Amino acid sequence: MDTPDPRRAAELGNGRKPLLEARGLSKNYGATQALDSLDLAIAPGEVYCLLGPNGAGKTTTINLFLGFLAPTSGQALVAGLDVSTHDRETKQRIAYIPEQVMLYRNLSGLENLEYFAALSGRESLSPERLADILVEAGLERSAVRHRVSAYSKGMRQKVGIAIAIAKEADALLLDEPTSGLDPQASNEFSELIERLKDRGVGVLMATHDLFRAKETGTRVGIMRYGRLVTEMGTDEIGHADLERIYLEHMHD
Amino acid sequence: MIQQIARKEFSDVVRDGRFRWCSILVGALLLISLGHGWVQARESQQEHAAAQATAREHWESQGEKNPHSAAHYGIYAFKPRLALSFVDEGVDPYTGTSVWLEAHRQNDFLLRPAQDQTAAQRIGALTAADVLQHLVPLLIILLTFGALATERERGTLRQLLATGIGRRELALGKALGIAGALALLLVPAALVGSAALVVGSPGPAASPLARGGVLAGIYLAYFAAFLALSLAVSAWARSARTALVVLLGAWVVNGLVAPRAAVDLSKWLHPTPSAVEFARTIESEMASGVDGISRPDRTAVTERLLTRYGVERVEDLPVNEVGVYLQESEEFGNQIFDRNYGALWDTFERQGLVHETLAVVAPLLAVRALSMGLAGTDVEQHRHFAVAAESYRRDLMRRMNGDLAENSRTGEVYLAGPELWEETPPLQYAAPTLGWVLGNRILSLLVLGTWLVGTILAAAARVRRTEVG
Repeated sequence: MDTPDPRRAAELGNGRKPLLEARGLSKNYGATQALDSLDLAIAPGEVYCLLGPNGAGKTTTINLFLGFLAPTSGQALVAGLDVSTHDRETKQRIAYIPEQVMLYRNLSGLENLEYFAALSGRESLSPERLADILVEAGLERSAVRHRVSAYSKGMRQKVGIAIAIAKEADALLLDEPTSGLDPQASNEFSELIERLKDRGVGVLMATHDLFRAKETGTRVGIMRYGRLVTEMGTDEIGHADLERIYLEHMHD
Repeated sequence: MIQQIARKEFSDVVRDGRFRWCSILVGALLLISLGHGWVQARESQQEHAAAQATAREHWESQGEKNPHSAAHYGIYAFKPRLALSFVDEGVDPYTGTSVWLEAHRQNDFLLRPAQDQTAAQRIGALTAADVLQHLVPLLIILLTFGALATERERGTLRQLLATGIGRRELALGKALGIAGALALLLVPAALVGSAALVVGSPGPAASPLARGGVLAGIYLAYFAAFLALSLAVSAWARSARTALVVLLGAWVVNGLVAPRAAVDLSKWLHPTPSAVEFARTIESEMASGVDGISRPDRTAVTERLLTRYGVERVEDLPVNEVGVYLQESEEFGNQIFDRNYGALWDTFERQGLVHETLAVVAPLLAVRALSMGLAGTDVEQHRHFAVAAESYRRDLMRRMNGDLAENSRTGEVYLAGPELWEETPPLQYAAPTLGWVLGNRILSLLVLGTWLVGTILAAAARVRRTEVG
């Protein structure tokens, strides 16, 4: 267990420049402090899992990295660029998968991917290549041209992953991506994250799933009341340790 | 990226069955109303031309007659229909398009189709201007209310914005996509309208195509303002349903409440006399004069002529004293008419100004004023023709009375021949130029321009602050 330190985080990421970095990042909603001086750094090839109860500040952190919220103080940086002042440049380097990947129901998975890829600046990708990406993301080839209205949640999450792959994003922001997925779908999802990690993608994942965090993450941070109360490398602890530490912090 | 968004929005709109049927319905109504208006305008133009020719023929074939009897025989004048009147018939059905020009009287206009219509016909009379001013904005609202609100509701807005596109790019792309879908409806109508302008006889107005171009620009600005307003509300509203309710409220105010309120307010601020009161006032002033305008005294006229020509008996005058007196009576009447009609027209003008000013709350009022103006069917152009017709009537009376005064002597029976009728030129009416029309409508142009710029700025500001949900 360590005190959060972004420089150490960068070291854990093989000393490379952090892809995602929070410096004293805070967000207040009136009198309520949703995020309190968060310091965080995620290097290429690192999967950082943020754990914590509802209202701990996990989604607020992701929204700040996406530029959907303006910080009250501090900075959210993507590849060294401040999100507040480089909205377009930072968004071009990140992909986002929410708890529920929402797609256009009247379009097929392939048409959705074509649209989002084009908006991400990948309009040159051919339909065949995009179909391959959907298959790579775990979708059955026969489902690629079906309307999304017939897709399960797991299939929609895979289209979300395909959008991230097509975008060739440097960093991935995941907000409870496996919530509501069956174990097999969750497992397939973790495998996909593993592959992206191996390609050097930096991942920030907000989750309630301690097991998935331990399995998929390289580091885990625990948040409570808007503060990062502790963080640790997943290779330093076992499943039971993580659960014990988490519960200890929840009962403090 | 804007192109991608526009393309998707366009295909979404075109694929959506509800909107497809709405568009087909509005498009069909527009084309039918254009076609019906054109046929009606053409028929009316032909009828006017035929009636004008017949009236002239009757005038010229009066045979031998006293010029004053010919002045009473009179002649009809028909307000020519301008080329664009098939788009917007304006006030013509209420004011009438022809006037009987005769001695001693400035008559009201005749041929008011609205007088002959049943209540049901009035409700059912849908002109192209009605479709453009009411139904196309409604269609724009139905196409646009969910543009951003629905994306936010179904969660796709977060994913769209996470791709790196800006909120304004997204809104602009959507606006272009919707505009493209609307173009499918409006371009054929514009082509039909242009063809009708080229094929139809354009009437006396200069540059019908230039007028058509300006009219198209006015309607495009109106539609763009509605599109921008709809986007602004869609960006602001918490739900698509709220956006729809707010926009439908705005549509009702713009299309139904404001025009009615403008009529009532303008009448309250600047009341006009009833037709009976107006006629009674003129009758009374004609009988006894008013405010220093007094009826010429026959004896005084005679005395003056005797003095001027240095003779003692009217029979020795080199002019017919009756002709001189009749002309002086005409001029007395003209002063009464100028006084009363001038005040009436000025009141109408002030009422029109109230309508144009109220366009700050309802752009329809500005568009309606401009549309009628360009179609040549507004009150101002009715007045323009009425003044020209009255001027012609006065010239006609002057000729008849002058001929009587100069070519006959007091007390003798005098009959003029066909030469006099033929020498009298027909009414040559030149409709106002485009510059005159636009000069009269500067306030409406300014208000419409302000609406366009204001709604675009509001949309830009609201879109920038759109919450992702």
